[in-house]
This record gives sequence, C-alpha cells and structure tokens, in this order.
Amino acid sequence: MSEQPSVLIIGGGIAGIQASLDLAGRGFKVFVLEATPTIGGRMAQLDKTFPTMDCSICILAPKMMECFRHPNIKLITYSELKEVKGSVGNFQVKIHKKPRYIDETKCTGCASCTEHCPIEVPNEFDMKLGMRKAIYMPMPQAVPRCMTIDTENCLNCKLCAKVCKAGAVDFSQEPQDVDLNVGAIIIATGFDQYDPSEITEYGYQRLGNVLTALEFERWVCASGPVAGHLLRPADGGIPKKIAFIQCVGSRGRKQGAPFCSSVCCMYATKEALIIREHAPDVQVYIFYNELRAFGKGFQEFVNRAKHEYGVTYIRSRPGEIREDLATNTLTLWYDDTLTREIKTLAGVDLVVLCPALLPRASNKDLAGIMGLQLDDCGFFKVTHPLLAPVDTSVPGIFVCGYCQSPKDIPDSVAQASAASARAAEALALAQVQRVGGT
Amino acid sequence: MSQYEPRIVGFLCNWCGYAGADLAGTSRLSYPANIRIIRVMCSGRVEPVFILNAFENGADGVLVAGCHPGDCHYRSGNQHAEKRVEKTRKLLDLLGIGSDRLRLEWISAAEGEKFASVIKDFTEKLRSKGPSPLGMGLDAPIQHNSTTESIHDILKRTKALYCQECGKCSSSCPITRLDPSYSPRLAVEKALMGLEESVLTDKGLWSCLTCYLCRQRCPLDIEYDELIRTCRSKAATNGISGNCSHEGVLYSLSRLMANKETKQNRLGWIPEGAQIAQKGDIMYYVGCLPYFNVVFDDIGVTHIESAQSMLSIFNAAGIEPVVLENERCCGHDLSFAGDFATFTTLAKMNVADIKKSGVSKVVTTCPECYRTLKLDYAELLGRQKFEVQHASEFLSDLIDSGKIKLNGKLRKKVSYQDPCRLGRHMGVFDAPRKVITSVPGVELVEMDRNRENALCCGVSAWMGCGRHSKQMQIERLSEAKSTQADLLVTACPKCQIHLNCALSERLPVKKEEVAIETCDLSVLVARALNPQTPRIEETIKE
Repeated sequence: MSEQPSVLIIGGGIAGIQASLDLAGRGFKVFVLEATPTIGGRMAQLDKTFPTMDCSICILAPKMMECFRHPNIKLITYSELKEVKGSVGNFQVKIHKKPRYIDETKCTGCASCTEHCPIEVPNEFDMKLGMRKAIYMPMPQAVPRCMTIDTENCLNCKLCAKVCKAGAVDFSQEPQDVDLNVGAIIIATGFDQYDPSEITEYGYQRLGNVLTALEFERWVCASGPVAGHLLRPADGGIPKKIAFIQCVGSRGRKQGAPFCSSVCCMYATKEALIIREHAPDVQVYIFYNELRAFGKGFQEFVNRAKHEYGVTYIRSRPGEIREDLATNTLTLWYDDTLTREIKTLAGVDLVVLCPALLPRASNKDLAGIMGLQLDDCGFFKVTHPLLAPVDTSVPGIFVCGYCQSPKDIPDSVAQASAASARAAEALALAQVQRVGGT
Repeated sequence: MSQYEPRIVGFLCNWCGYAGADLAGTSRLSYPANIRIIRVMCSGRVEPVFILNAFENGADGVLVAGCHPGDCHYRSGNQHAEKRVEKTRKLLDLLGIGSDRLRLEWISAAEGEKFASVIKDFTEKLRSKGPSPLGMGLDAPIQHNSTTESIHDILKRTKALYCQECGKCSSSCPITRLDPSYSPRLAVEKALMGLEESVLTDKGLWSCLTCYLCRQRCPLDIEYDELIRTCRSKAATNGISGNCSHEGVLYSLSRLMANKETKQNRLGWIPEGAQIAQKGDIMYYVGCLPYFNVVFDDIGVTHIESAQSMLSIFNAAGIEPVVLENERCCGHDLSFAGDFATFTTLAKMNVADIKKSGVSKVVTTCPECYRTLKLDYAELLGRQKFEVQHASEFLSDLIDSGKIKLNGKLRKKVSYQDPCRLGRHMGVFDAPRKVITSVPGVELVEMDRNRENALCCGVSAWMGCGRHSKQMQIERLSEAKSTQADLLVTACPKCQIHLNCALSERLPVKKEEVAIETCDLSVLVARALNPQTPRIEETIKE
C-alpha cells in the first residue's frame, strides 16, 4: 500500500482547526474528526478572549468556515474514533459516525424545524443554562450548518420532517463505520471542566447564584441563554457584587488536578472587565492564589483591570460560601493572606468558580486505541517535554493544544502549527524512504 | 515487707477543718500520722479531680473536711463539696476503688477531738480494708516518651510542606472566626519558618478543636489534626498543657483506667432482663458512658439511656453482645491532649482484652472510640483481626437485614448533628441518616451546614471549653432550631453533653430560640423499636 498524503485530526477546536488549515494549505488531504455536531470547540463558547478582548466567535467563525470550504478538508462531525491500525505513512482508521437523521447535503440550517419541535432540553453548548430543541444546532454559527436530531430526547413525532422544506430530515439513517487511510494523526481533544460540586463548601449546584467560569462565559455572551444581560441566575435580579474564586480544584492534592490550568487568572480578569464594561457599577472581586499573568501583555492587562476598571484582587482561597436567606445573597468567608485578617464579603450576588481544566476523560480510550501513553494527569505523553513537545511515542501521531499540556489560545494555535509541521515532515520522510529505499 | 500503713490525703478547709486539726495539735491530742494535709480555702474548692489525682498517685484514702452545714464562710461552699464528694463516690465505685475510701466530715474549729477521732477511725478502717489496689499498679511516674520527631519531620509527615498559604483553612476554622489570634494557617506558617518554640508554646495549639474542617477543605490535604496532636504531645514533653475542661477529671479517669490493677465495677447500668455474654462474636464497647452519666448528671443528659437503648436493640435483634467487665477508656482524649504514653498503654490493654474475648466485631456508640479503635490502634499496633463498627453503621445493617423492625409512630421532625469524628474524620455520613429516615413517621430536616460542612459542637478532647465553645454551641443550636425540628439527634455522647451544657447555662439569647431536645441515635431507634417504654408515650402524646 502506498503512503497516504493525508492526515486525521482528532478534535475540531481551535487547535484542530489551525492544524487542519496549515496542512490543507500545504496540499495534504485532511480529515477533521469532531465528537459534537459542530466544530469550534471551547473557543466557540467563550464570550471574549484575553488579552485583546476580541469577540471570540467573531475571530473563530471565519476560520471555521475556511475549514468547511477548503477543498482539502473534510469534516467528520458527530463521530468517534473506533480503531487505528498501521504505522506512520499508512494508518488504517475506523470511525464511528452517529446518525444525525439529517441529510447534511440538503439541510440549509434555516432552523424552522426547531420552531415546531415540541421537546426542549438543556443546551450543552450553553453549559445547560439555556434550552435547545430535540432537533437543534448547538449555536447559530455552527459548522457544518446543519441540524441534528438528538434521539435520546426525540419523541419521534416527525413534525420536523413535515415542516422541512428542503426535505433534509431522514429518519432512516443508521450508524455508520467510516474507513480512512491516513499517513499521520494529530490529536487535539482539548479539555473538560472539573465539576466543583465535590467541593461542597462552595455550594455549586446547591446555591443558585454560583456558576462555573464556562457557564459564566455563556451567561454573559450576547448569543447565550439570556442574550448577554448581566443577571443573577437564581432569580434574574440585577447583581451589584460579583466574586471570582480561582484554583477551584486546581493545584490541589485531593480533588481535581495537581497542576495549574494556566488560563484562569487571565480569563477571570477578562470576565471582570466584561462585567465592568456591561455594568460599571458592579463591584468585582477576584480571589486568587498566585496571580499568574505570565504571557505577553498579561500583566498589563491585569494592571488595567486593577487601576482602570477598579477590580479588587484578594489573595485568598475563601473557606466557604453561605447563602443569606433574608437577602438571597451570598457571604464568603476568607483569610486575606496578605494582611492576615479573617474577613467576610457579604451581599455577593454571583460567585464564579474558576475550576481546574482537565484533559478529557475520553483520552484514556483514545490512548488505548492508538497505543499511546497518558501521564498521571491524563495529558498525552510526548517523547520529550522540552525538545519534542508534540511527538507522541508512536511515530506519525502528534498532539497539540490543551490535551498536551495546559495552555491558552495563542499557545494552542502555535502548537497546532508545530504539530502540523511535524506531521508534514513525517509524511514527506515516509515518502522519501519509500522512493529511496525500494 | 513492712506492715501496711494507709496513706491518707486530707483536704481541709481553712476555717474549720484545718483549724480543727490545729486545735488537735495544740491540745496535744494524738492521732495516727497517716494523714498528709492539704489546706484549701473552702471544702467547696475540692474538685473531684483533686480526689482522683490523690488515688492516681497512690493514696489509700481521701478525707475532705469542711465547716458544718450553715457555717460555711462562703455561704454555700460546703454544699458544693457535698455534691462533689457524692459524685466522686460514684466514680470511685465505678473504678472499683470503692467509695468508702473517701470520707467527708464536717469539723469545726472547736472540734479538735473530733478531728483526731475521725483520723483514728478512718486509719483503722483503711488498715483493715487493705491498701488501694492502684498503688501497686503504679509504675514509676509515666515517662513522656513522646515524639522525638523534629518539627520539620512532623510537617513532612502531615504534608504541611505543601501549604500554599491560601487561607482556606483559616477562613473555615470556627475558632479562628471567633479568635483570630489562632489559625491553622498561622500554626503551619510558624512551623514552616522553623519557629519551633513559638509553635509549642502558643496557647492556640490547645484551642484547636481538631474538628477536621480545615483538613476537609484543604486542597493540599494537610493533616492539621495530626499536626496539632503531635505538636501537643511534643509540648507536653516540655511540661506545657492546655486548659482542660472539668479540671481534667476525665483525663484523670482515663489515667486511672490505664492502671493495670484497676478492676472496674462498671456494669451496674445493665437493666434486669437484658442479656450480655462473656464470649461471642460481637462486642458492645460502651465507652465512658457510665462515667459521663455521673459527671454530667446536672445538665439533663442521661447517657446510660443510650447504652441501655443500644443493648435493648442488640437483644431485640437476637444478639447477646460481649460487654467487658473491665473495659477501659479508648484513650482518645489523652492522645489529643498530648499524653501519648498513657494512650499507648490503654491501646495495648484494650486490644489485648478484645483479642482475648475472641470477638470478630466491635460496635461502639461513641465516634471517638470508633476512630480510635479503628484508625489509631491500627496505626499504633498494626491491623487487628476484629472489625470496628459505629452504632450507626451497625444499626443501619440491622435495619437492612430486617433483624429489627421499627414500628413506633414518632411524628417528629428530626435534625442531625454530624459528629466530627464520625463524619469528617471517618467519612460516615450516610449511615446515621439512613437510620433516622428508617424510623416510621420521622422526617429528617438538614441544617444549613451539614455533612462535611457541619459545625463542631465546640469542644473536643475536653480541651479548652470557653467563650468560643459556648458561642459555637449557641450558633449550632439556633441553626438546628431554625430547621423547625422537634428533636436534634446526634451520634456522639459528647455532642450531646456540649450542646446540653450550653442550654443549661445562662444564655445570651432567648431560650426558645435555641432550646431543642437532643437524643442519641440509639435512643431514637430504641424508642421506635419498643413503643411501650414511657418515653415513647410522651412522644406520641405530643
């Protein structure tokens, strides 16, 4: 069998998108495997980005479309990796494609079906804060612009089929196994958010006005569940005091993760700025441990938050959050570790927890399928953390983005380019060896 | 061996007893030289622990002498003395020392002759009774062969070197909230800076409740409770100790139980008709309940009811548990108060006794016994063959297997206080809740802070009960009250003591805001098991 000048990219987030565009631009055929109905990943869920305060989807959507339109890129969404065989230059890959019950070639994404679907369920894309129908597109900018029917919740009433003018609804679809031959593989599976309900003293899921950071991103996003109005989730009231708690489950030895997620200090600062821009009268407090503003322009960004926007930074992990039943507000107990005073912050309307960001739990299965190793935390192991940061122990399989190590968007993008360069190199080398060797 | 001469310690009041002795002396009356006199300002000053300490150190008899009733120079001191002596007599009976080794006499300043005759009589009686058994069980003064670990090693072992100084412990600590001069973080910080002396002499070392809340919440899993315990033991080696509540009478009792000659007489609580066995598969480890019943008889808690309830449940399930005649204190409080040497002695004695009984399971009503038997003994003496269960787990199993059927109709809203040792220390949160909700008609209403976030009852290891403890107790009681519960169930005799103690004193709030009936889990189950008991009729009437 000949070497395949093609690459499989696992994960359609910003790292996967960047890697696919780089490789496609070099003339390789690229398959992008994505587990959800749309590419875009975590970045698509963010409201804005630090430190530039760009609207996240505004800078991401063009790249998503470019992926979609590129003649060398094929998107395989709503699918999972099942099997990988072979070696560099010639991997035989089996992909399990779940049925969308929608003909991707016919659906225009007009979404008129959603108006008729009687079933409403929490939208995963909005971190379950908003609702979607059983036939849905996770977000308006979804790529491919195509509906999906979630059969777990579908009543099978087929109203959607009746109203679809394009005739795209197809209930006869079956799960499909797709076989691919690729020369190299890049893994870019991103992260999961640690579920802080385990840290009961912070009351996540018990107290209505405690959110996680990703939930808050959706909450304040103009395309989110409340159209970007700054409200208290429990009762829709107008918040006056908002607190962020850093390192929830990260840098610990008991729950969550032992490592620093590397982005929380900065995104909390960004979210604080978003709040102050939305509502300048809201007081914002950030409870941090060590303020890790290490990137280019990061410290300046924090300084702006402190001095221009009046965000209060307090070095502490609060001990507990309790609800004041009379005022429906929250009280935080904390030790101001710089002054060594035990204090309370009362009358807080909303607490945003910044949980550890963990490598995906599904990495374990992926590693099993591909014969790779994970480190103790669940990140993919590379052959040398300093000198070969994107090479896994299997030649021809590379890794980039958060699933390799904690990192922010620019670093993920840079690493994606690095991984695509290494993949191109591996393919070229395989070709040279074949031509020269036989 | 020379002839036995009883050693008597006499606590004589300054105004009457001592003056009487003086008169006996100046009148040249002769009396046996067996008494060593300690002058106190008033017989009311004599705490039970003074008397117990005398026996602990080898006395054969103790005399307390004060003014005749009505003659007290402080109006009512001698009345207190009478009550205390009465209490101490009961304790001496339980300990097997015998209440007749303690004598209370009213001797006025004019009664030199009475003094002499009392001493003569008491000496004679003690001579014929023979020496106190404890004297022979006394080894050389207990050597504090406690830790030789350096502060750095302790920090390493308890993982305190990982501290990120985030303040989660200090902002969780219920003591720090009331008294910021102590905080778990500052203790660790000082130790990390190598300020050993400062750590060991800090008063705060003794105000920690070892309630585990800081450890529960610490993201780095620092073992503060262990750190504090080891530092206390180190401090104790240097002769430093904390403020013991009840003047340390409970430590004294524990130490007396650690005397190898002690033969207790502690089974008096077992009601007629109840069945216990000498040999069997399951042991009921009663803990210090018979002693608590005496020491805390004035705050409206009857601990014996818990023990009796537990035994009635055993019997109802067709089990005749082994109850040791000479069961000794588990040593929990001493181990957390820095006396590791006596704790070790107790541990060895208990393990030997349990092994000898051949049981495969030990059930405790007290969560501190539970922790100590299950965790600390295993750490100290290696893993033991017998299984240790707390009553809540045992009851839950009995209900599950259908061995007991709860049929009482308790129309009650019940809230539950998580004991620190049972909950956070040992992770038993569900079993007691399951037992409570299995009682027909009972509705469990949780307090705002429950399970791993529960507030401690304010005192642990009889250490430093004070203003802050009372404040915590009032806070906890009002939290329980605000659930609209009729009954606060605990699974720890000490929670019950501390919460009721707060209620028995002058309150800073209106009594109806905090007053709530408390009972032990075993009592609740026994009430539901046997609706004929008078207590249940009361409850049904309500």
